[in-house]
Amino acid sequence: MIRNGAAMGKISFFFKEAFGSLRRNYFMTIAALVTVFLSIVVLGGVLVFVFITDALLAEVEEKVEITVFLKTDPDPTADEVSAMQAQINTWPEVKNVTYVTKEQALEQMKEDYADSPEIFESLTGNPLPASFEISLVDPQTVDIVAARFEGDSIVDEVRYGKEVADKLFAFTDQARNFMLIFIVLLGIVSILLISNTIRLSIFARKREVEIMKLVGATNWFIRWPFLIEGITVGFVGALLAAAAVLAANHYLLGRVSDNLAFLSVPVDAVPYILVTIVLLGVGVVIGAIGSAIGLRRFLRV
Amino acid sequence: MIKFEDVTKIYPPSTVGLERVTLHIEKGEFVFLVGPSGSGKSTFIRLLIREIEPDRGRISVGGRDLDTLHSWKIPHLRRNIGCVFQDFKLLSNKTAFENVMYALVVTGNATNSSKKKAVEILSLVGLGHKADSYPHELSGGEQQRVSIARAFVNHPPLLVADEPTGNLDPDTSMGIMQLLYRINKTGTTVLMATHDREMVDRMRRRVVQLEAGRVVRDQKRGGYGED
Repeated sequence: MIRNGAAMGKISFFFKEAFGSLRRNYFMTIAALVTVFLSIVVLGGVLVFVFITDALLAEVEEKVEITVFLKTDPDPTADEVSAMQAQINTWPEVKNVTYVTKEQALEQMKEDYADSPEIFESLTGNPLPASFEISLVDPQTVDIVAARFEGDSIVDEVRYGKEVADKLFAFTDQARNFMLIFIVLLGIVSILLISNTIRLSIFARKREVEIMKLVGATNWFIRWPFLIEGITVGFVGALLAAAAVLAANHYLLGRVSDNLAFLSVPVDAVPYILVTIVLLGVGVVIGAIGSAIGLRRFLRV
Repeated sequence: MIKFEDVTKIYPPSTVGLERVTLHIEKGEFVFLVGPSGSGKSTFIRLLIREIEPDRGRISVGGRDLDTLHSWKIPHLRRNIGCVFQDFKLLSNKTAFENVMYALVVTGNATNSSKKKAVEILSLVGLGHKADSYPHELSGGEQQRVSIARAFVNHPPLLVADEPTGNLDPDTSMGIMQLLYRINKTGTTVLMATHDREMVDRMRRRVVQLEAGRVVRDQKRGGYGED
């Protein structure tokens, strides 16, 4: 019980020391806080950007569809059509198949060109082909699926915007890799900046550390308050940064969807709780690593 | 209590700190270490608290051989040696009371009775009424009293003072001396490095004189200079 009481006293002593020193060295504290805040704001900004572009790309990828136009002269029979639809449905790559009849195609066209009905005046019969519209589970399989229609007796033409799709995939892959590298670099820069700030703050108290050692403090006894200090700075800086990033995200997303109707970012694109936890975790880790690096050199008295 | 056996310390490249010093100090002694600046007084004390290590020779303190002492045990060594310095070495952001408490908390078993202990020791050095003052609010003599209180609060078997009166006027110095003398009376071994000629002459205690890192005199009831 007595040992336990002593341990409790020690822990509260460490926290008192840490917060006292944060208050006394408020200038250093603010400098470190601003550093953590800025690093994590950038980190958080990149994270949010990744989530948003991911959501946008997912949406665009969703739109990559295969359109299979059927022959018109003669039109395929209902049996041929349903046989083909059944076969397409058995392919695992396919998410959804819609059969568009000649009549539906014409209706759609009339709707699209409602402003100029004269186009349809000279029309006799229905020259438009029927088609299958196929959406895929994984847009990357578009080539494989399209190739299966080659040489089919009732298929006239397969369209799937191959080049657009290829470019898009190349871009999204590159963008993701680039972001990943950027995040890693930023993490390293943050740790260096913070360890330097904490090292400066420890350097400013070199004399204090020296006295502690002379009185017989163990290394860990000296370390704990500094570690708590670093972690506190990391945590508070990250908390402020997370709030700033999410607030900015909320505001900008509102502005973007008001002004750019074609960019529809899903409301839940950015998982707020996950981002907050990640940023707080990074802040705490950065604070701890920073003070550990800063402390290493000053304990050899 | 303290045993130096043929101890040599050279500061690179070739400054002599101590040279072939052999010295024994018994438990309960009061010893003055005298000599001009650079004669090796501070080196002696820094070796004693394992701030530095000798190049040759053996040192033991209170039966502990410093040569074989693991570095993680150094804090425990230092808790058994109260240290008093010329520049007081007080934590400037802590009150007199907190400075004394620090030495108790450091040992990891500070309890409620520790607070009482700290208050008592401050009254003992005559600063009971200034327990809540910060070092900058105290005079030099008062700061030195706080540092002596801190050094003695754990009742270490050995108290080491490096020029404790170096920054103080003669009257204040006398007060500090008397305090060290009283501490010695409780059975604590006291080793004091000083240039204070008058003080040494008046106390008539064992005097060890260093010059250029060597012991040139060791006298049972000596004065500062050779009579």
